[in-house]
Amino acid sequence: MTTSVQEAAIRHAQPGATSLPRLLPTSGQPMSLAAHLQTHGPTPYRGGPGMLIHTIESAGLTGRGGAAFPTHRKLTAVASQKGVAVVVANGAEGEPASDKDKALLWSSPHLVLDGLQLAAEAVGAAKVHLYVHREPTLLGLLRSALADRKAVGLDRITVGLVGAPPRFLAGEESALASRVEGGSALPRFTPPRVFERGVHGAPTLVQNVETLAQIALISRYGPAWFRAIGTEAEPGSMLTTVRLANGGGAVTETAIGTPIAELLKLAEHPAQAVLVGGYHGAWLSADRARILTLSNADLRPLGAAVGAGVLAALPANRCGIVESSRVVDYLARESAGQCGPCLNGLPRIATTFSKLAYRDSTPSTRDELQRWSQLVEQRGACHHPDGTVRFLRSALTVFSGEVALHEAGRCSATTSEPYLPIPAGSPAYDEDWR
Amino acid sequence: MITGTALWYASRATGVISLILLSSVAILGIVVSRQGRLPGLPRFAVTGLHRSLSLLTVAFLGIHIVTAIADGYVHIPWLSTVVPFTSDYERFWIGLGTVAVDMVAAVIITSLLRARLRPSVWRAVHWLSYASYPVTLVHSLGASKDLRSGWLLALTLATVFAVVTAIGYRIIDAAAAIPRARRVPQQLARTEKTGSPR
Repeated sequence: MTTSVQEAAIRHAQPGATSLPRLLPTSGQPMSLAAHLQTHGPTPYRGGPGMLIHTIESAGLTGRGGAAFPTHRKLTAVASQKGVAVVVANGAEGEPASDKDKALLWSSPHLVLDGLQLAAEAVGAAKVHLYVHREPTLLGLLRSALADRKAVGLDRITVGLVGAPPRFLAGEESALASRVEGGSALPRFTPPRVFERGVHGAPTLVQNVETLAQIALISRYGPAWFRAIGTEAEPGSMLTTVRLANGGGAVTETAIGTPIAELLKLAEHPAQAVLVGGYHGAWLSADRARILTLSNADLRPLGAAVGAGVLAALPANRCGIVESSRVVDYLARESAGQCGPCLNGLPRIATTFSKLAYRDSTPSTRDELQRWSQLVEQRGACHHPDGTVRFLRSALTVFSGEVALHEAGRCSATTSEPYLPIPAGSPAYDEDWR
Repeated sequence: MITGTALWYASRATGVISLILLSSVAILGIVVSRQGRLPGLPRFAVTGLHRSLSLLTVAFLGIHIVTAIADGYVHIPWLSTVVPFTSDYERFWIGLGTVAVDMVAAVIITSLLRARLRPSVWRAVHWLSYASYPVTLVHSLGASKDLRSGWLLALTLATVFAVVTAIGYRIIDAAAAIPRARRVPQQLARTEKTGSPR
C-alpha cells in the first residue's frame, strides 16, 4: 500500500517529459537538498545489485564524459567482475573549453550524488568517490551537500572527495584511478582496463557526473520518459558548453539531435568554423556545421564526435590556424611525458605548427606535420596523441585556405586577441600532477 | 645410448652457454630499462631481443639441470632443482645454482603473468635479476673447475666486465635523467630553439 502511494506520488511529481532543462534547476539557482527532495523525492534505491542495469539499458543512456559508451554495458562489465567494486564519479573535466560538469555540480549536486549511490548499488560497490577539481569553493559546496545528506541518512555508502589537479588528462580513467589511490594523475598502460582492475586493484566503475545525474533521473521517471527527447539511437538530453561567435556562451541542456545552427545561433552570429567536442575534437566548416545536428550519427561520418558537448563558433575576425596552434601547443605541454611518441612527437608537432601559424613556414612544413602526425598516432598509453592529431588534421583541412595564405606570408584575421580558452600554467613538477 | 660422459659434458657445455646468455639478457635488460637503443635496432626490437634471449636461456638452463641430474657419475637429487642445498655432491656450489634458478624462475613467471600483475610487483621481482647474476657467477666458478683457467676464464671475465659496464651505464644514465615532469617543457624548449628534438 505504502509502495503504491509512493509510486503515485512519484508519477504525480514526474516532470513533463519533453520540457528542458531536466538536470539543471529551472530556477537557475543551486538546488539545496530540501528543494531536491521536494522536486525529485528520496534516492530511489532498488534493493540490490543489478536491478537498475536493465532500466538503464532500456533507456539507452550513453556516457556523457565524451566517449558515449553505453552505460549499461559498463555497469554490467564492472558488476560481473570478481571482487568488490569501487565507483568514482568523474567531475574533473580537463577540457578547458568545457564547463558543464562544474555547472552541474554547482547547481544540481544531489542528482549526481543520488546517481553515485544508485550506480554503487547496481554494481555492488563498497566504496565510492567523487573526483573533482581542487577548487576550495566547489569542494566546500560539495562537503556541505554531503553533510546535508548524511544528516537525513540518504547515502548508504560514505562518499570520499578526491581533488584532481588542473591537468587536461586528469579525468582519463586510469589517471583518475591513480589519483584516487593517492598518487599522481598520470595515465597508465592498459590493459588491464579500470573496470577489471582500477583503484587499488578493485574493479572500478568510472562514470562522468552528468551520466550519474541522468541515472538518478531515469531510475525515478523511467526509460520512456528519458527517451521522449533526443533521437532513437541517441536518446535523452545532454549538457553542452556553447561558445557563440559573438563571445557569449553558456552551459545549456539540450536534446541530442538539436541542430548545431540553432545551438550556436549561427543565423544571428555567423561563424567561419565550429569546433565540436573540445580540444580532442574536430573543426567543422561553417557550411557543414549549419546543416548538421548535435549527434554522433551526424558527426562521426565526418571524423568528429559530440564528445563532452563542447561547441565553439569561431568568429570571422580570428585566424583558425593561430587559434589551433595555441591549442596544439597547450596539448603538447599537457603531455604526461611518459610515452616516447607523445613526449618527443607532440612538442615537434606543436613547434612546426606554430611556424605555420606565425608565417615562418617552409614549403615542406605541411608534409612534415602530416608525417609526424602519423608517427605518434595510436602509440600512447592513452589517447592524448590520437586526440591531438585528430584536432590538428581537422584544422589543416577546414582552414586549408588560411594555411595557403600563411604559406604566402599573410593572414586573414583582423585581431590577434586569443579566442579559445587556454588555462595559464603548464606542468613542470611532479606535484603539478597531484 | 648416451654414456655418462656425454651427459656430463653436455651439462658443463650448456652451463657455460647459459652463463653467457644470462649475461646478454642482463645487459639487454639494462638497455631496455633505460630506454636505450642498440645500433641498427629500433627500441621495440631491443625489448624483443631481451625477451627472446631470456627464453633461450631457459632452454639451455633446462638442459644444463636435467643432464646434470640424469648423469650417474655424481648423485644430485631432483629435489635440488628447486630446494637449495639438498645435494650431497658440492652442497654449497650446487645450492647456489638452485638459488639462482629459483630467482630466474620468479622473474620469468612474473613476466609471463605481467598483464595480470601490478606493475610494481612485476618490477620488484624483476630486480631479483641483479641478485641472480652474482649468485650464478659464483655457482659457475665454484662448481666447475673449467672456468677457472684458460680461455673459459677469459670468456667469464669478459661477460663480467660487460655486465658491470652495463650496470655502470644504468647508474650514470639514471643519475643524469630529467624528472618525468620536466621532460615535456625541456623537449618544447629544445624544439623551439632548433626545430628538432635532440
